[in-house]
Amino acid sequence: MRAVPLPRFLSSVELAYLNVVNHLLAFPIIPVMVAVLLQVLELGPDELIAHWSSLGIDTIHALCTIFTVVVVATAYFMSRPRPVYLVDHACFRPPRTFRVPFATFFEHASLVPFFDEKSVRFQVRILESSGLGEETCLPLANRYIPPCPSMEAACAEARLVIFSAIDELIAKTDLKPRDVDILVVNCSLFSPTPSLSAMIVNKYKMRSNIMSFNLSGMGCSAGLISIDLARSLLQAHPNSYALVVSTEIITPNFYAGNERSMLLPNCLFRMGAAAVLLSNSRREEDRAKYRLLHVVRTHEGADDRAYRCVYEEEDGEGNSGINLSKEMMTVAGEALRANITAVGPLVLPVTEQLRFLASLVARRLLGARGGKPYIPDFKRAFDHLCIHAGGRAVIDELQRSLGLPAALVEASRMTLHRFGNTSSSSLWYELAYIEAKSRMRRGDRVWMIGFGSGFKCNSAVWRCLRAPKAPVDGPWSDCIHRYPVHVPEMVKLL
Amino acid sequence: MDLLWTISTILLLCSLLSILWKGFDRRRNRSCYLLDFVCYKPSDDRKLSSELCSDIIVRNKRLSVPDYKFLLKVVVNSGISEDTYGPRSIIEGREECPTHDDCVDEVDDCMYRTLDELFLRTSISPIDVDVLVVNVSMFAPSPSLTSRIVNRYRMREDVKNFSLAGMGCSASPIAIDLVNNIFKTRKRTLAVVVTSESIAPNWYYGTDKSMMLGNCLFRSGGCSFMLTNDPSLKHRAKMSLKCLVRAHIGANDDAYSCAIQKEDDEGRVGFHLSKSLPKAAVRAFAENLQRLAPKVLPVGELALYVLRGFRHWLWRSKEAKTDAATAAMVNFKSGVDHFCLHTGGAAVIDAVGRALGLTKYDVEPARMTLHRWGNTSASSLWYVLGYMEAKKRLRRKDRVLMLSFGAGFKCNSCLWEVLRDLNDGGAWEDCIRAYPPQTLVNPFMEKFGWVKEA
Repeated sequence: MRAVPLPRFLSSVELAYLNVVNHLLAFPIIPVMVAVLLQVLELGPDELIAHWSSLGIDTIHALCTIFTVVVVATAYFMSRPRPVYLVDHACFRPPRTFRVPFATFFEHASLVPFFDEKSVRFQVRILESSGLGEETCLPLANRYIPPCPSMEAACAEARLVIFSAIDELIAKTDLKPRDVDILVVNCSLFSPTPSLSAMIVNKYKMRSNIMSFNLSGMGCSAGLISIDLARSLLQAHPNSYALVVSTEIITPNFYAGNERSMLLPNCLFRMGAAAVLLSNSRREEDRAKYRLLHVVRTHEGADDRAYRCVYEEEDGEGNSGINLSKEMMTVAGEALRANITAVGPLVLPVTEQLRFLASLVARRLLGARGGKPYIPDFKRAFDHLCIHAGGRAVIDELQRSLGLPAALVEASRMTLHRFGNTSSSSLWYELAYIEAKSRMRRGDRVWMIGFGSGFKCNSAVWRCLRAPKAPVDGPWSDCIHRYPVHVPEMVKLL
Repeated sequence: MDLLWTISTILLLCSLLSILWKGFDRRRNRSCYLLDFVCYKPSDDRKLSSELCSDIIVRNKRLSVPDYKFLLKVVVNSGISEDTYGPRSIIEGREECPTHDDCVDEVDDCMYRTLDELFLRTSISPIDVDVLVVNVSMFAPSPSLTSRIVNRYRMREDVKNFSLAGMGCSASPIAIDLVNNIFKTRKRTLAVVVTSESIAPNWYYGTDKSMMLGNCLFRSGGCSFMLTNDPSLKHRAKMSLKCLVRAHIGANDDAYSCAIQKEDDEGRVGFHLSKSLPKAAVRAFAENLQRLAPKVLPVGELALYVLRGFRHWLWRSKEAKTDAATAAMVNFKSGVDHFCLHTGGAAVIDAVGRALGLTKYDVEPARMTLHRWGNTSASSLWYVLGYMEAKKRLRRKDRVLMLSFGAGFKCNSCLWEVLRDLNDGGAWEDCIRAYPPQTLVNPFMEKFGWVKEA
């Protein structure tokens, strides 16, 4: 597989210029104020008083001016958007009864009447090199021979995963459901009417003026899209609480055909759900775990190749499934490049940005003699990384192209091993891993990257405000002592 | 030294001015303007005549004669004409096994036709769109419908797209709410919203009566509209959003399950409409009006309402609160000039009209929309608005109330103010002169009226 080239920073010239222009006023002010301060310090106190008296300003005018400045400054700072805090998050912990070890998967695939022998072997080969472990979970309906993906079963799975995650979140945060002002739910491949958000409103008896939204079809990166939506809503409504639920319901999406590119989801997608409580209330400043710094969304759908790379369609026999194209890695790399180009100016330290700017200017003025283009070091901008656990190939590719050490991708690999590809909720399992390992410190910056159909690449940047106290209760409580594990390139089954 | 003082004073003043300007600018971006809207007009070969409807009903061999009679009764009393549209897969006989392509084509046709016309009419390029929202309740493919649009029109990388699903017939105000909230956080933003419904994959072919109503009432339709908060586009805008109220009574179990997609006893998926739906609708409606009234009614009317309520309580009237009595309590027409009611069915329109104390003239747009287009779910409000515009009823400073109900159970409403005299024909262009028709004798009535006696 060819290496993905690093981001095109030359194309972020516009962003650099924009940054400069936006802060144009700041550029002359700082040196001038510093000069004034130095002058003032040179004068003694007597001279200062003499200068002040010579200006002929009486006390009233001075007080009025100071008062006006203070009022305007206060009004401005009060009206700025409140920061968005992540109070806490909780993930669905699948009971042991749902687990599907490789042998079970193989036996099930062999016994159901849809798959020919080649398809069974293909699925097993995928599983062997997938990076998944033996404890990933599938819903009960998919375990029947043949699977019975009824709507009732899908709703049952939805109730199980979503309500478990929300119940745990309520226990952790003492959240009263009636205090929730905003509810955003995302589930890509299952959208009943009434929506899953209505199902949650019904179960938890939420208020009638709740702002609820149900996103569907938005792929594995929909978790960050929901966070973006919740953030926009919170910015428009001060002092509010937003509950974001990310999940993927596996039951209705069993592919019962033999098209190879459509068998991959059967092998990789597993049960999971996450519930996240966001708030912009001042009360939560004292106990919030993280603060949301940035959300950057990139949509490559304008490019046909990117658009077609994860595509729901019917095979020749009329079986519906998700077709994953062979070009997915390349497309993911390009989407990541585009996303990093937008994220870079927001998160890189000033020194890195100045170095990049200097290199840019040098190359513009001096041409090739200006030296090689400077590639900013992203490892300096983040302490932790959560990459969507889409599959081993995705994580490997990202590690190579961004030059990441194994420690930074460990959370993603271990989540893929323990829980499989849980789609939009995988990022939250990874964050829970980092917390369970007690690696999160106050002030640490976390970069979450999600990829999904469309083709989209979305990023969120968080800063840790309060490190969780060990032992951390979460989906990893019963198994964190076993991790990290070495995930072999291939686990031979047959 | 003096020069330094002068420079620093000037810079400080500039900073103060820029802070003041930022504050003022932020307030300016609170508006939400409707630039234009385009309703979907499917091709005429998709019209569902009474003949075709009866053929489709009879095709389901699982039904017995009483079932046929029930269905025909529903169709006869529905208030729907022979000019409504259905999906191609149903007309061509594939209603029980639509392919994925059938479903996608149905939605694509609606989205692309309306968007092409919308971009043409507004002279705005798709590359300038900042926010894209699609709501189709009962079909959510991967990649999402918003991705399909981004791909087709080659939109920008940073377009904020949201694909809403499962939100029912009242999803239009929900999409507007989403866009309005984003407008409060971003300047000079342009948003496109597409609202439609997918009928092809949701045809019910079982025998449960409560699930067959959807088959009879839902018709193909959709609308694309463009919103902005850019003050420089105000002169081109048709309407401005004044307020939006959402009421969700899903906390009540009966309300949640009164309109729900589920399997029947034989495992076939259908949309179940229960007998407690009217009750849930009334509750949601009351909940919505309670919050809407103070925002919409003039102060005088509100004061009168309080007085009437007080008098009613004082005299402890033993009469049951009839619709007329309730209507007498609040006169919505004092704050609203036009009413866009969701065309859920003739009974729904009449009930809402009575509750709000509306005249025949007020409910005419909704009744005529039901007649011409059927129940097009979330986009029905826009066809009603289109009727009013085609009839040249919308004048500058008029206030238009959009009111819809949907599964969940929700009742959502939004109030618009018309910014200039509107007179586009839109989807009604070719038939507005025939409305209101001389008689509302239903063609289904003529053919199948015998079911009423049978």
